[in-house]
Amino acid sequence: MASAGSGDEKAAAAAMITLISSDNEKFEVTEATATLSQTIRHMIEDGCTDGGVPLPNVTSKILARVIEYCKKHATAAAGEEGSSSSFSDAAFLEVDRAFLEELEEFDDAFLEVDRATLFDLILAANYLDIKGLLNLTCQKVADSVKGKTPEQIREMYNIVNDLTPEEEAEIRRETQWAFE
Amino acid sequence: MASPPPPELMDELVGEILLRLPPVEPEHLFRAALVCKPWLRILCDPAFGRRYRAFHGAPPLLGLLPEIVVDQGDRGPRIFSNTSIPDFRLPGSDGCLMSPLDCRHGLVLIYIDYMLGDEGDNYLVWDPITGDKHGLPAPDSPLLIDSAAVLCAADYCDHLDCHGGPFRVVLMGTLDFEDNIVASVYSSETGVWSAPVAFDNAYEASVLPGRGALVGDAIYFTICWKGNAIKYEWGQNFLSMINLPSPATTLMAMDDGSLGSAYIEGSSLYILSRKVNSEGAAEWVQFKVIELETIIPGTSSDQKPFVVGFAVVGFAEGVGVIFIRTDVGLFTIELKSERVRKVNKPLDDSVLSYMSFYTPDRGRLLSLARTH
Repeated sequence: MASAGSGDEKAAAAAMITLISSDNEKFEVTEATATLSQTIRHMIEDGCTDGGVPLPNVTSKILARVIEYCKKHATAAAGEEGSSSSFSDAAFLEVDRAFLEELEEFDDAFLEVDRATLFDLILAANYLDIKGLLNLTCQKVADSVKGKTPEQIREMYNIVNDLTPEEEAEIRRETQWAFE
Repeated sequence: MASPPPPELMDELVGEILLRLPPVEPEHLFRAALVCKPWLRILCDPAFGRRYRAFHGAPPLLGLLPEIVVDQGDRGPRIFSNTSIPDFRLPGSDGCLMSPLDCRHGLVLIYIDYMLGDEGDNYLVWDPITGDKHGLPAPDSPLLIDSAAVLCAADYCDHLDCHGGPFRVVLMGTLDFEDNIVASVYSSETGVWSAPVAFDNAYEASVLPGRGALVGDAIYFTICWKGNAIKYEWGQNFLSMINLPSPATTLMAMDDGSLGSAYIEGSSLYILSRKVNSEGAAEWVQFKVIELETIIPGTSSDQKPFVVGFAVVGFAEGVGVIFIRTDVGLFTIELKSERVRKVNKPLDDSVLSYMSFYTPDRGRLLSLARTH
C-alpha cells in the first residue's frame, strides 16, 4: 500500500493519526508531526495505525510535551521547504536564519522542566526514536553535569554511590587534577 | 514540595548523555566516572570510546610544545597543557638536549642531541597518552636534517585513536657536501630507514626548518628556493615541487583535505587553499583574510606609536587554530569564529600542537571497571 510517490506524500501530510498514551488519553496529530518519530513512521509504513497507536511507555503528560516538540519542528521543516522555492537566495537565507532562531528559542523554553520530566522526555525520545529530541534532552543533562562534583551529580539524579571509600580515594589520588 | 526523583535511565541512555561532554574539558568525563560503577563501566567500555571519538570528530588540542630546543631549566621539558590535565613531561633525557620536531596523530617526534662521547638513538617517537617510547637510530646516509614529520602508518585509519599503531618518520634535508634535497622514511613495521630519494632539479635549495603539512599521501615542506614547497609522496617514494602564494608561508592541512598556506602582509593574515581541478592543475584560492590589528588586543596602531610585528608560528589541524606571535605575546586564533586567546606559556619560538582524546579508560579507573 505504502509507496514513495510524491502525490501520496502530499495526501499523507493531511492524514491524521491517533496516539494513545499509557493512561489511555487520545491525541490526534497530523502524519507530518507523528512521523518525526521513526518508530511511528515504521508503524505507518507497515499499515498498523488503524484504530490508533498505543504507546504504553509514555504517559499523557509526557506525550503532550513530545507532541508539542514534534509539531513545532515539523512546522519548521515544512516552512523551510516552502520558502526555498518562493524566495530569492538572500531572502531564503534570511527566512532560514529567522526559523532557526525561533526554533532555538522554542527549544530553550521547552527544556525548562524539572529533572524527572527531562529524564521522562529522554526515555520517550528514545522509545519513539526522535533523534532531534533525544539530542536536545541529552545535551541538556550533559550541560548540567559539567562542572559538578561526583557527589553533586549523584544528588541531582538520585544515583546511589556503589564505589567503596577506598576505591574512590584511590581514583581521586590518581586523577587529582580532575577534582581540583 | 521537592520534585519526584528522576527515573532510572538504562546504560544506553546514560551513554548518550556522557557522549555529549566536551573533549576539550576532559575533567567532566573523569568526574562522571566516579559517580557510580555503572557510569564507570560505560565510560571504560571500548564501544563508548569509539562512539565518543566519532561523535566529536577531531581530537582536541591538549597541549603545546616549543618546536626548537626546550629550555632545560628546573621545570624540565614538557607539553604545556591546554586543559586541566597536568603538563606532560618529556621522557627522561639524561642531560642531553631534546628538541621536539613534530606532533601528529597523537605522537611526538623528538631529536636527541647527545653530549660529546655519549651515543644512543637519535630520534624518539613518544606517545604522551600511553607513555610508549620508540627510539630510532639516525639514517646510515650522512643526511643533514632540516625538517621532519611523524605520522600514523595504519591503513584506513581515521586518526582519532592511533595509539599503539604503526608509524612513519619522514626526514627532509640535504646530503652532506651536496645541495640536493633528499627524503628518507623510517617505518616502525620494518624498523629501517629507506634509501634517500633526491630531488635533482633544485640546485642550492634547502628545506626550511618548520613543520610539514600532511595532505592525503603526501607531506609538504617549505624550501628556500623561489618561494616553493617540496612535496614528498611516500607511496611512490617521489619528490616534486609546487609553487607557493608567498615565500614566507606556513603550510597547513585544511579541514576540507586541501593544502593550506598562511602568511602575513602588514597586519593582515592571509589564508589560502590549494585547489586541484580534475585535470590536475592547481591554483591557490583565498580562503580568509583576517585583520590582526582589529582582533588581537594591544596591537592596534592607534594604541601603539610603533609598528607591531606579527608572525605565524604554528597551526593545529582539525581544530582550525592558528598561532600568531606579536610583540605583545603569543595568541591563538580560531579560524572559523576568529576568537582570539592569549597563550600564557613560556613558548619562545615556533609552536607544536598536541592533539588527542583523553578519556577515563585508563589506569585504576579501567582496572576497577573490569573487576565489577
